[in-house]
Amino acid sequence: MTVFKAYLKVLDKCKVPIIIYTVCLIFFGAFSLESNREQMNFTKVKPDIYIINHDESGTLTKNLISYLEENTNIKTLNEKNITIEDALFYRDISYVVEIPKGFTEDFLKNRQPKLEVKSVGDYEASLTEELLERYMNTANIYLTYFNEEELLEKISHTLKEEVEVEMTSTLDSDSLSEIATFYNFANYALLGGCIYVICLILSSFQKDLVKKRTIISSLPLKQYNRSLFIANSLFAIVLWLVYVLLSIVMLGNSIFEIHGVFFILNSFLFTLVCLTLSFLLSSLIDNKEAINGVVNVIALGSSFLCGSFVPMSVLPKSVLQIARVLPSYWYIHTNEYLKTLEVVNFSSCKQILFNSSVLVLFALLFIFLNHEVTKRKQRIK
Amino acid sequence: MRLHHFKYALKILIKNKMLIFWTFAFPIILGIFFHMAFSNIETSEKFQAIEVGVVTNEENMMTKSMKAALEMLGNEDDENAIFHLHDLSLENAEESLKNKKITAYILLQEKPKVVIHSNSIESTITKQVMEQIVENQSILMNIAEEKMAEMSKEEFSNPEVTYDKIYQKIIEEINLQRQNTNTIDKSPKKLSYTMIEFYTLLAMSALYGGIFGLISINQILANMSSKGKRVAVSPEPKKKLVIGSVIASYLVQLVGIFLLFFFTIFVLHVDYGENIPGIVLLLFVSSLTGLSLGVFIATISKASENTKTGILISLTMFTCFLSGMMGVSMKYIVDSNIPFINQINPASRITDGFYSLYYNNDFSRYFENIFSLLLIAIILIGISVHTLRRQQYDSI
Repeated sequence: MTVFKAYLKVLDKCKVPIIIYTVCLIFFGAFSLESNREQMNFTKVKPDIYIINHDESGTLTKNLISYLEENTNIKTLNEKNITIEDALFYRDISYVVEIPKGFTEDFLKNRQPKLEVKSVGDYEASLTEELLERYMNTANIYLTYFNEEELLEKISHTLKEEVEVEMTSTLDSDSLSEIATFYNFANYALLGGCIYVICLILSSFQKDLVKKRTIISSLPLKQYNRSLFIANSLFAIVLWLVYVLLSIVMLGNSIFEIHGVFFILNSFLFTLVCLTLSFLLSSLIDNKEAINGVVNVIALGSSFLCGSFVPMSVLPKSVLQIARVLPSYWYIHTNEYLKTLEVVNFSSCKQILFNSSVLVLFALLFIFLNHEVTKRKQRIK
Repeated sequence: MRLHHFKYALKILIKNKMLIFWTFAFPIILGIFFHMAFSNIETSEKFQAIEVGVVTNEENMMTKSMKAALEMLGNEDDENAIFHLHDLSLENAEESLKNKKITAYILLQEKPKVVIHSNSIESTITKQVMEQIVENQSILMNIAEEKMAEMSKEEFSNPEVTYDKIYQKIIEEINLQRQNTNTIDKSPKKLSYTMIEFYTLLAMSALYGGIFGLISINQILANMSSKGKRVAVSPEPKKKLVIGSVIASYLVQLVGIFLLFFFTIFVLHVDYGENIPGIVLLLFVSSLTGLSLGVFIATISKASENTKTGILISLTMFTCFLSGMMGVSMKYIVDSNIPFINQINPASRITDGFYSLYYNNDFSRYFENIFSLLLIAIILIGISVHTLRRQQYDSI
């Protein structure tokens, strides 16, 4: 109890940096979701494009633009501040179509005018290219058979042709990937928050005089470690709860469905791993100044390598192989797996059970190592 | 004697391990992380042929011609192929779709159907292409019908011929379409936006480097440390002390930023464009701006050294955030909506300088950035000199 009380006292003393750090992490978490919302629209049907029109009055041009309006997002750019090239580079738009002067007239007279295009070469650009080809080909075929008025009507009529699409997945993949993004980011926040705060507080217990006093006391080392562990768990669980609450506020009801519960449980397991890891690190690091460096390298490193910031699906295979030695990999892997989990039954949950056991093993390993390190350090003193 | 203070200022800086970690090692570590995480992101966005299954439900002329049209688009040898086609039975197709071996499968029947697993851009493209094929068929049917009306009775009585003709025509048409482009491609050559991440990293390193200036100025301020008091009462003129400290800091800072620069070029293969002198000049100028920022914070504030470094680090992180370090699109969002912010943001200016050299070798934009950075440095140094000159301590 004495150790526990002392812990709370130190916690109270360090509350300012702790609060600032935690608030920052939570803010970043919330922000990551906001900024990622747009990226999720990658799967959206309409690509973002820009049109430079030098043939304002042309009837065919108008018809083409209205066709593109139906199938794409025609963006307007704030050209005072940025150039079209900037917009392409930063992927605000994926495709630029420049309609030359006299396009309609040239086309009708069969001079085969060309559209100037700029593309970033991604899927959105390819889709726009397809749309444009489809329109131009239809127009070309009809050109030989019909006059101007009929031509436009025929084109519009023909382009309405639709093919039926059937979707087999019943998952609400948009909201699930939103939850996964949030909890993937939590990897950084939980890891960074736990290591920073726990190491900061425990460094007060590592001070020479304090340590010597503890060693000569009648308190067994195991019991001492246990008290500190319980006190630290309290903090870690509070941090985790704040995150879960935030996810409920930001993501709404979808979190209460079966998938959401799995996400929450998975993050709880990971919080335990963070806790035990921080405990081990605090025994290893004596220097208060070094904490900052260690926090950044470990938290940023595992976040970058395991798919917390950049989705796992676009990470190189070799990086993912290396990432397997880090607990974050198994935590994020479960999140990614949950995203595509259709039916919840024993066989589909095998993967989750496996990943979770790896996390538990990591936690046990860290507890064991911490005990060994503290025991050894005691002897040297 | 002139070099005396310079030498000690240098020694103090180099022996500070935490300082060296944050300014030398940390940006390099971060660069390695960036490289590992981002190296694949752009290839994964590049268009690659979509895996599509084909299930022939009904075997007739229509489906045959649709299949022929699909095969045109899914030619294995063609680099620009849109599809990789797989002939499958319905069961196999369902299984492959479930295991994500294919993005979609097409049921070839009178009214063809596209079956997808979930919404994605690939499925949209598949649908789009299928529509084009169906549409071409209906166009040619219409035209053929018109022609058939004009045909003689003998020709008309032989339906096989007309079907064959239609079939032939569709193939020809699609062949023609593939060859006949309606567009001229003027896409920019260099579009790798992840480069921005590395440019912000250099910006961060340049501004972080201000810590050296900050610490070494702090060493000579009488109200900051006892060392400062001792230095202040020595007969050495303040001007010499300040200049010695500043030059020492600038030197260490340059070593740091060039280390990072070489590391990004030779190990991480970051592309800076061809204009090497321009890049080197930019590195010198950005380090100067960083230095001036550090000196400015050291002189203007009376807070403790830890608080001052805290201010510098958080300011650096915030400016880097605005210039796209935590998400490249951030810089674009700020640029297009509140350009003023990024005009006075040194990190953004540095990033933009590298960007203008890499992307389109836009010299006017490059020099605009260089001059802004110099202006920021001159203003900050001016204020610092002004403050330092007036400092007198009646009691500390």
